[in-house]
Amino acid sequence: MKSVRRFFTRLVNSAMRRAQDERLREEVEQHIALQTEENLRAGLSPIEARRQAMLKFGGVEAMKQDYRAERGLLSIEHLLGDLRNAARTISRMPGLAAVVILSLAIGIGVNTTIFSWIQLMMFEPMPAVGGASKFLLIEPHSETGGYPGASWLEYRDLQAGLPALRDILAWEMAPFNVGEKGQTDRTFGQLVSGNYFSALGLKPAIGRFIQPQEAERPGTEPVVVISYDYWQTRFAGAPGVVGQKMRVNDRELTIIGVAPQHFQGTMVPLKFELWVPATMTPTLLAGARDLEDRTARSFSLIAMLRPGATREEAQAQLSTAMARFARDYPEANAGVSGDVLSFWQSPRGPQRLLMSGLAILQGVMLLLLLAVCGNTANLMLARGSTRQREMAVRLALGAGRWRIASLVLSENMLLALLGAGLGIAFAVWGTTALRLAPLIGAFPIQFQTGVDGFTLAFAMLLGVMCGLIFSAPPAVHLAGLDPQDGLRSSFNTAPRSRARKVLMGAEVGLAMVVLIAAALFLESFRSARQTDPRFRTEGVLLAAYDLSGRNPDDASERDFAARLLERLQALPDVEGAAIATNVPLDLHGIPARTFTVEGHVRTEAGQDRAITNTVTPGYFKVMAIPILEGSDFADLRDKAAPAQAVVNEEFVRRYLNGANAIGRRLRTRGGDFAIIGVASNSVYDAFGEPSQPAVYLSYRDLPSGQGEIHLRTRGGRETALASEARGVLRDLDPMLPLYDVRTFSQHIERNLYLRRIPARMFVVLGPLLLGLAAVGIYAVVSYAVSRRTREIGVRLTFGATSGRVVQQIIRENLGAITWGAAIGWLLAFVVSVHAITKGAVNLPVFVGVPAILLGVATLACWIPAWRASRIDPMDALRHE
Amino acid sequence: MKQKADVLQGTLALMVLKTLDVLGSLHGYGIARRIEQISGDLLAVNQGTLYPVLLKLEQEGAIESEWGASENNRRARFYRLTREGRKQLQVETQGWEQTSAIIGRFFDVKAEDLP
Repeated sequence: MKSVRRFFTRLVNSAMRRAQDERLREEVEQHIALQTEENLRAGLSPIEARRQAMLKFGGVEAMKQDYRAERGLLSIEHLLGDLRNAARTISRMPGLAAVVILSLAIGIGVNTTIFSWIQLMMFEPMPAVGGASKFLLIEPHSETGGYPGASWLEYRDLQAGLPALRDILAWEMAPFNVGEKGQTDRTFGQLVSGNYFSALGLKPAIGRFIQPQEAERPGTEPVVVISYDYWQTRFAGAPGVVGQKMRVNDRELTIIGVAPQHFQGTMVPLKFELWVPATMTPTLLAGARDLEDRTARSFSLIAMLRPGATREEAQAQLSTAMARFARDYPEANAGVSGDVLSFWQSPRGPQRLLMSGLAILQGVMLLLLLAVCGNTANLMLARGSTRQREMAVRLALGAGRWRIASLVLSENMLLALLGAGLGIAFAVWGTTALRLAPLIGAFPIQFQTGVDGFTLAFAMLLGVMCGLIFSAPPAVHLAGLDPQDGLRSSFNTAPRSRARKVLMGAEVGLAMVVLIAAALFLESFRSARQTDPRFRTEGVLLAAYDLSGRNPDDASERDFAARLLERLQALPDVEGAAIATNVPLDLHGIPARTFTVEGHVRTEAGQDRAITNTVTPGYFKVMAIPILEGSDFADLRDKAAPAQAVVNEEFVRRYLNGANAIGRRLRTRGGDFAIIGVASNSVYDAFGEPSQPAVYLSYRDLPSGQGEIHLRTRGGRETALASEARGVLRDLDPMLPLYDVRTFSQHIERNLYLRRIPARMFVVLGPLLLGLAAVGIYAVVSYAVSRRTREIGVRLTFGATSGRVVQQIIRENLGAITWGAAIGWLLAFVVSVHAITKGAVNLPVFVGVPAILLGVATLACWIPAWRASRIDPMDALRHE
Repeated sequence: MKQKADVLQGTLALMVLKTLDVLGSLHGYGIARRIEQISGDLLAVNQGTLYPVLLKLEQEGAIESEWGASENNRRARFYRLTREGRKQLQVETQGWEQTSAIIGRFFDVKAEDLP
């Protein structure tokens, strides 16, 4: 207690130094005056009386020192002094300080932004849900390594079979058309289990949530919970919304409650607006068999551990249960096991896409920050050397080595923390920009990232670590000075610093690694976009319609599609028109179906699967996918032809061993089909994917209420065609909206969105890093040259040509640079070949990046060398 | 060296506390005079060393100080014992007596007294 009190008094005293000094001075004066009077009374002469008084008092200065040491906190006073000094020093070098602070700020800002993103995905994967990171995913795992999702029946069975978990909840995402006929909006929602909201621990903003008994039997309760934003925007936040009816997919649902603010569903970063009991699936999605079909794996399951249970127990129970399902339902579950995963480990969907990209990005950006540190260390070392004399004077006057080190440290720390501060500002700006990212494409995406205490701590930690890293070399160097040498040394005898060269090499090496990583990433991104998808994307307009609100039957759906295509084809700018249920390169992928095909006997358990797209005749022509054998589908109005299928080359290779496919029978859940054609392979889910087997079925045989219209246009008029297409649809059915109108290129662009963010970061940061490396090299070389002015002058006097001088300086420095670059290059090469491209080498990147980097480095060496060589020898010799 | 100074400072602090306990409010010179009078020339410390000790005691809250007029009508800083200081004095007096008693007994013991 006493010591605490003393500490605070001393802290205050440190701040009020002057007033205290004054007090002591007065006290001492008074003391001596009183003693003098005493001595006078004892009969001494005035002069002797004062002299004796002073003698008796003792050394005033020594006492003052003791007094000060007693009064304040010496270390804090030193620190404050150091900081004052640091601020002065920094203000004397505004250019250098600006470079250092700005480069650190960018490095820290980028890292903090990415970290806030990762933190969101890992620790708050579901905004508004407390403890969301504790939820575990229960993921069926197929023998081929994929995670196909769980079926509803599987979910019901697992609820009973996993005692280590409590309250397993399930959802599937679904597109909804909301509104009265003709004025429908496309909205995304989740079909959820009855315990969805209670298991997430949510409280409704108003009203109530879905009850367990409302998701018991199929088609029972037509209720819906809406999101807070939806409530605010569509119902202006009116409290009377509870009890109102809304039309969803042409069914009337009663709004029973509003989800809490910020809750956006359980598939971050997707944002959902509606939650409907899963048992409404067959009612809302006409013909959906999700509730009874074990092969319809459309649900995701999550749960928390029961108190006291472990994840291992849960995994063991899941394995047992899945093994039992595989025995009991071999047609759907053979070869399917199950994994218990952390929520952030999500093996599929947007979470996975984002997470893997972010992890790589963070790693590369930390390397970038390290390179920035190396650069700063070098700049500081070069600067520190010009202060040798100052430091030598300080040492000679009795400053301890620790004081010198702490002087340097406090200067650099101040820079680092200023950088971190600015970096936080960048991060705030970055996360805000991320939060405001537009809702793109068919899927609404929202990031609720922000800079919170944790992110702030991360940024400050980065700042402190950077400060320590780049303080160390100059601090060690200056504190280790011999004051004699320091004072004596003039410019021409300055020791050449190995440390600087090593640092320069290390920095170039790091820059090499980061630049190669950035280049590889950009290359893969660019080549992904330029890869031939094996269909033609130019000149294709896409638009979707949805009849499911009309409750149409097969005949009317088929008829609608036929009439729509006839009208569209009649438009003057349309070269060809087709309808398909799926568009390649969609974010959510094209569904796969199980099937059996005549002529292929499966040896192992499980079932043959292929991507399935249902299309109208003319689709292959519109997409420019060549039909290699056989023919296109029969006309939509043809009632005579048997059910048909077209397969792709990969299908023939994998399942028919390349034998003739035409005429073989293919059996799927939808019925029996005769294979009438073989189409060329094309890209389905992602650029660069391995070839996938695919089956095309005909709209004639399996009509659907939903369709994506594909229009091939003449002469690049696809954007102008949108309104004409709308007009056609309005003529056919005035109430039916045409939604999600986009060109094929737009469709691809927005589905590459998640990969584009890191790509853009690299585009900006790559050149920046190159610039930083150049500045670092330039600073080091120009410093080294400035110290050798006299030597250069001597050489020039004795007849060395300026060309030779330049050459020598460049050669000396390029040695360290080349070493660093070579090590960095080798590292990048090994990692890339072994871990990323698996053997393939991207030659342009591995040759181009070093060429550019070494070119820039040479230039950064050449400029100071050239300047030095232009010096007048007489001036140089006179130079100190 | 440091230890010796600490011991000295510790005893000096005790002397200051005792002086203030006996004489009430007193300025620095008064305290120095008093200690000098009592110890005679035995304690030939520089009077200046008193001031850091006064500051330490004040920071610990054992004494407090305020400006007042001295006998020669000048401004002087007067020190006074606080309640906390009185408690501290009690504790330290006890401790000191105990220590000196133990030390005293040690010096009393002769070789032949030992069993």
